[in-house]
Amino acid sequence: MKRIGLIDIDMKNKIMHFLFLSCLKATELIEKKLHFKLTIKEKIQLELHKMMCDACSMYEDQSEIIEEGIKKHLHGTPSENGETEKLKGQIKIKLQEHHH
Amino acid sequence: MNRKNNDLSAWVNNYTSELYSWALHKVSNDETAADLVQDTFLAAAEKFDSFKGDSSPKTWLYSILNHKIIDYYRKKVNQPVQRENQSFSLFFSDEGDWQESRKPKSWHGQEDEQHLLDDHEFQEVLKKCLDALPGKWGVCVKLKYLTEKSGDEICQELDITPSNYWQIIHRAKLQLRDCVEKNWFN
Repeated sequence: MKRIGLIDIDMKNKIMHFLFLSCLKATELIEKKLHFKLTIKEKIQLELHKMMCDACSMYEDQSEIIEEGIKKHLHGTPSENGETEKLKGQIKIKLQEHHH
Repeated sequence: MNRKNNDLSAWVNNYTSELYSWALHKVSNDETAADLVQDTFLAAAEKFDSFKGDSSPKTWLYSILNHKIIDYYRKKVNQPVQRENQSFSLFFSDEGDWQESRKPKSWHGQEDEQHLLDDHEFQEVLKKCLDALPGKWGVCVKLKYLTEKSGDEICQELDITPSNYWQIIHRAKLQLRDCVEKNWFN
């Protein structure tokens, strides 16, 4: 019985990959979706895959959080930084050289 | 000429520190940030006559600096981008299934996305993971968010095909997600 069970899981995986993508391909489409439009076929395949795969569903949610996090980080206001007196002096010297 | 010197010198005094922290925030390297700010003022000196005062000097300087930052990333990514097939094997088996150790786990607090994004420590972890991305992956990701251009436009700029581009992003994102999960949730 156990053996048949294993074969079944193996078969199920094969059929799933063929019809509904592997996790590698599914996560690729999840990323593609954020930057480009998916074809109808890709959309359907991805939705079906997610219905059956918790890991990839979580991946999608987490990927979106990271996406927002990067935006927030790169657009956020940086903290004030002291220690720029030296840089100011250096720039003024360069500007002088530049003029003469 | 005199007015130019006075203005420039006043701008250096007033805005260097702000511009520097902005640049540092974007490039995560203090020498590069200092160079970019210096280049910004040199460019401002050169283009001084074209500055009409329609915008504030500060806005003008920021726009020069932002161009310099984007140029910096563009140059960094200029070398041809190669597909690294084998690097996906870290995350997936030959059949394309998740490797058990890299499989996404539930993030507690994930239900509350905003809460997570507002968390300062989460942002710190994300920043560290972003900086830890290998060269061109990190560059592609940063260029995307700095310019806010569409995928197609970025591809044109970097001279790579769309499929090459999202594979780079895909690979980078897998690494980023894994890094965040291991450093934040465990």
